[in-house]
Amino acid sequence: MFNVKMTDAKLLRDMITAISILIDEATFDITPQGIKLRAMDPSRVAMVDFEWPQTIFDEYNCSEPMKMCLNISEMLKLLRRVGKDESIELSLDEKTARLKMTIRGKYVRTFNMPTLEAMEEEVPTPKVTFKAKARATTDGLREAIEDASLVSDHVRIEADNEKMMMQATGSLMGATIELKKGSDALLNLEVKEPSKATYSLSYLSEIVKAASAASAVTTLEFSSDMPIKLNFEQEKEGKLTYYLAPRIEVE
Amino acid sequence: MRVIADLHIHSRFSRATSQKMNIDEITRFAQIKGLNLVGTGDFTHPKWLEELKEKLVEIPNTNLYGYAKAPNSSIRYMITNEVSTIFTLENEVKKIHHVILTPSLETTVQINERLTGYGNLAADGRPTLDMNAPQLVEEVMEVSKDNVVIPAHAWTPWFSLFGAFSGFNRVEDCYQDMTKHIFALETGLSSDPPMNWRLSALDKYALVSNSDCHSCWPWRIGREANVFELEKLTYTTVVDAIRKKDKDSFRSTIETNPAYGKYHWTGHRNCNISLSPQEALKFGNYCPVCRRRLTKGVEQRVEELADRPMGFKPEGAPGYLHLLPLSEIIATVLESSYPGTKMVWTAYNRLVKEFGNEYNVLIDAPKEEMSKIVDSRIAETIVQVREGKVKVVPGYDGVYGQLKIFEETAAEEERSSGKVDQRSIVDFM
Repeated sequence: MFNVKMTDAKLLRDMITAISILIDEATFDITPQGIKLRAMDPSRVAMVDFEWPQTIFDEYNCSEPMKMCLNISEMLKLLRRVGKDESIELSLDEKTARLKMTIRGKYVRTFNMPTLEAMEEEVPTPKVTFKAKARATTDGLREAIEDASLVSDHVRIEADNEKMMMQATGSLMGATIELKKGSDALLNLEVKEPSKATYSLSYLSEIVKAASAASAVTTLEFSSDMPIKLNFEQEKEGKLTYYLAPRIEVE
Repeated sequence: MRVIADLHIHSRFSRATSQKMNIDEITRFAQIKGLNLVGTGDFTHPKWLEELKEKLVEIPNTNLYGYAKAPNSSIRYMITNEVSTIFTLENEVKKIHHVILTPSLETTVQINERLTGYGNLAADGRPTLDMNAPQLVEEVMEVSKDNVVIPAHAWTPWFSLFGAFSGFNRVEDCYQDMTKHIFALETGLSSDPPMNWRLSALDKYALVSNSDCHSCWPWRIGREANVFELEKLTYTTVVDAIRKKDKDSFRSTIETNPAYGKYHWTGHRNCNISLSPQEALKFGNYCPVCRRRLTKGVEQRVEELADRPMGFKPEGAPGYLHLLPLSEIIATVLESSYPGTKMVWTAYNRLVKEFGNEYNVLIDAPKEEMSKIVDSRIAETIVQVREGKVKVVPGYDGVYGQLKIFEETAAEEERSSGKVDQRSIVDFM
């Protein structure tokens, strides 16, 4: 048995939007304690690591651990219909293996969608010792990434004890973005060793843009030429973390 | 007699084909190239067929044709064409191209009568037919047992027998009960015999090579071909040599380096991403730039179906030569962006004039002799190509491979084009 209820359906819509940036078909681990998802995007350049404990929900019933695979883009089509102050209920019909979704607001509508063959593969997180850790406002980070995207498709992120820099170099133009420790955008910075690494801006901007609806503050962790970890802090409980593999600049 | 044959070309009535693909020009450039036997292509097209009837004369007792306007020309024509069959099998759309050989202009009339019900033969020199592969073979073979159907460019991602997008894993799955009539496969530009030898299931098939050219420039026509040693050149002796895989008569194929082919590696042209099979697998066959599915290259497709290691050679297999078009070699040495510049033609014409034709230059001409009439670097590179010592940056997703002759340039290209700089998250697990 699996059925849950959330008073604020928008919360679920925003989270599925954030996941949909990387994943088309997602296999959720559902247990009596909550819901988890860890998956790589099809090209294996990025990973999302998501967790919601059962306390996020207003009602949560799961009789035994199960895996449920859903087509995320199809689910998002339905969730886009969610309006302000609407609630949502999800329940699994085990006989038909379909997920029922009831949205309650000015009127009640019930959608259903098939569940898919679940992936059994367990994906580990990357093994990285991070040397730099920055805590930034998600909006500030999004703005900085949008600036860099104007001139290039990749950005080099550097950090020392004072500041975090973003350097983008395109064929015609370049950009340098400086975020000083303690500024409005960069709330905190801890650097064990000066670090720099380059990342794809198409991934970064889509991830940050999509996750900004679900989080106000982001923690970035990285090391030279290693993946970056972006943890989008949740207002309540739960976890929304991304890993993005670096680009290695050809000398 | 040595016969070099390119049996798959297109006339100007095929889509995206040069308007100069007429019998005059084809004959002229075939001679320059060193071909003796050329497929007519496009016999299903009514206007081209009319032109063939008008311009070709039958060489008695050969089932081959000569050019009426040049009775002394040594070029012979075999009546051939390519068709595209599109059909659905087990809910999958299959698009397969086939080369047809037929012994006379008379038999083409009967074939065309049968095929006309499956598609508009006048729409394209390579008509698209609404029929499945076994139906095609059945129709063609019912006209004459001497007809031949050969799967065209068997590995290219689209429109081929083993194509990654709409093909099959086995010859039998495609041709079903008509597989008994299939005795040869066309390897296409992006694969060569050693790649095909890695599949034991293909041992019974002869491997043929043709240019599938859409223009008659010498860097297109005859860039791949078949070399025969025959007592007499006839339709039957050529077909029998292929059918029997007789090493004495079917001596070898002329192959471009498979990396030169447009679909050798996996990649995305628009994203400038080119990946070896191993790298493509690391990215799950998805593009690390646009995140759409990659166009799977021939090397990766062969790797998927291979049951033998690289380097395996079946006993009795005919040989092969790795060559590249002379114009491309000269253009690379002279750093010309196009093989048709005056500078390239000048060197090309000198060599061809001295040694008789392009194949003679590529295969036999001594380096010292060539150095006397052209830049010695051209002579050196021709010999390097002949000896398989050049680097070719692999082609991908419709982009031709690029010959790299200078070591530094080759290394640079390998770094910037062969290796994607985007890492996979899997690298850090």
